[in-house]
Amino acid sequence: MRAVLAAAALALALPAHAQLDIGRILDLGRKAVEIAPKVQEATKEYSPEEEVALGEGIASGFLGAIRLHPDERLQRYVNRVGRWLASQTERADLPWTFGVIDTDTINAFAMPGGTVVVSHGLVKRLTSESELAGVLAHEIGHVLKKHQLAAIQSDAGWGAAADGAKAVAADQIGRRGGGDVLGLKTRLANAGVDLVKDGLFLRPLDRSMEYEADRIGVVVAARGGYDPYGFVAVLTMLAQVKPDESGASITFSTHPSPADRLAELEKAMPALEQYARQPQVEGRFRQTVGAR
Amino acid sequence: MIAAMLTRFVVPLLLACLSLIGDAAAQEPAFTNRATELKERPAADARTLSPLAGETAVKVLSRQGAWTQVEAGPQRGWVRAFHLRFPSTVESSSGGGVGGSITSIFGFGSKEAPKTSKVATLGIRGLTPEDFKNASPDPAALRKMQSYRADKASAERFAKEAKLAPVAVAYAGNNP
Repeated sequence: MRAVLAAAALALALPAHAQLDIGRILDLGRKAVEIAPKVQEATKEYSPEEEVALGEGIASGFLGAIRLHPDERLQRYVNRVGRWLASQTERADLPWTFGVIDTDTINAFAMPGGTVVVSHGLVKRLTSESELAGVLAHEIGHVLKKHQLAAIQSDAGWGAAADGAKAVAADQIGRRGGGDVLGLKTRLANAGVDLVKDGLFLRPLDRSMEYEADRIGVVVAARGGYDPYGFVAVLTMLAQVKPDESGASITFSTHPSPADRLAELEKAMPALEQYARQPQVEGRFRQTVGAR
Repeated sequence: MIAAMLTRFVVPLLLACLSLIGDAAAQEPAFTNRATELKERPAADARTLSPLAGETAVKVLSRQGAWTQVEAGPQRGWVRAFHLRFPSTVESSSGGGVGGSITSIFGFGSKEAPKTSKVATLGIRGLTPEDFKNASPDPAALRKMQSYRADKASAERFAKEAKLAPVAVAYAGNNP
């Protein structure tokens, strides 16, 4: 009902033909936020299905810019580690999808709805499955707390774009008696692609979100039976990465430095000390990642 | 038989050698960030080889979980990872351009954000904001990535193979 009202607000504010122009949904959203500020608020709640649809749109756009790594064995391996970790969380039933992207630089990304991507450059710098688990669990933490969704919604243009798509689609559903779930998904997926084009991956998350994902990540890794200090080792490695290494050019950031993150994480680790002797699983990791 | 022996002994040995080479190459300088101890093994209850004062210069040899293997003067041993700081790599590149790099949600970089941009972190070589702007959606690649998904049951078997046992651990403090 709220969504339909929001759509009605959009309909009042904008020419009817503009609502149907999916490709321009982003601009449309921006206008909507100026004229009808309640749109964003009224459509704040995303169902898991909507979150997944938006995330898939984002992932599709992302993969249009960076290709997947061709090593299928590695892809399946990372999915098993990730799925095992995600199974230990309160959002175990999301369609968790993990991917390794074919770039030598060091990066990892989380998208709404349970898609997590890590760069091959990061994976090959790790030394054990517990370190990989630490990275994936950090990204899983972002998904659990819907950080990416919050970032999208807190940005006037992006939030309105995504919410506008949702509202217009909801209106269609309303008119057709609630049957058009596919239409809603299509709209959200298109909004996701537009978000990528508009620079979603150019903006870092709030530093408090990074610290939170760090704290969640070490707990999730420990729940999966891994040595949670694997992630501490990853941050230690990141602290030592040289700016010019493998084309990785470190520039300014609103993100906390690895050193700051280590200092922050140290406060959370005493509670996890008892799990430090859990397996690091080095052999299987090296066989999959190292031997090629 | 010979093949089995090769798999069982030679390959792991080769892998071990490779990792040693990797470790040897990673002789990074670091400093203790507080008074701490150099341990014989990477464990809290291991024998202490010697105390280390704060700001002691060490060389990093390898890392293992919470512990970092270092060379401190003539001695080799293990120091808690949290007890080390690394010479700034981020600040030293502060002149680096912002445009053309893309940001990571994984996130790292220095504390200060430039006024001109909300961008940052590690750049992805050859990828610029324009690449994203011009990227067309790739639903085929998305489907391919999704085809690698693992289901709960196979992930569980995979965990058992490595003797990973799930444990109940509560989130810390302000997390649910």
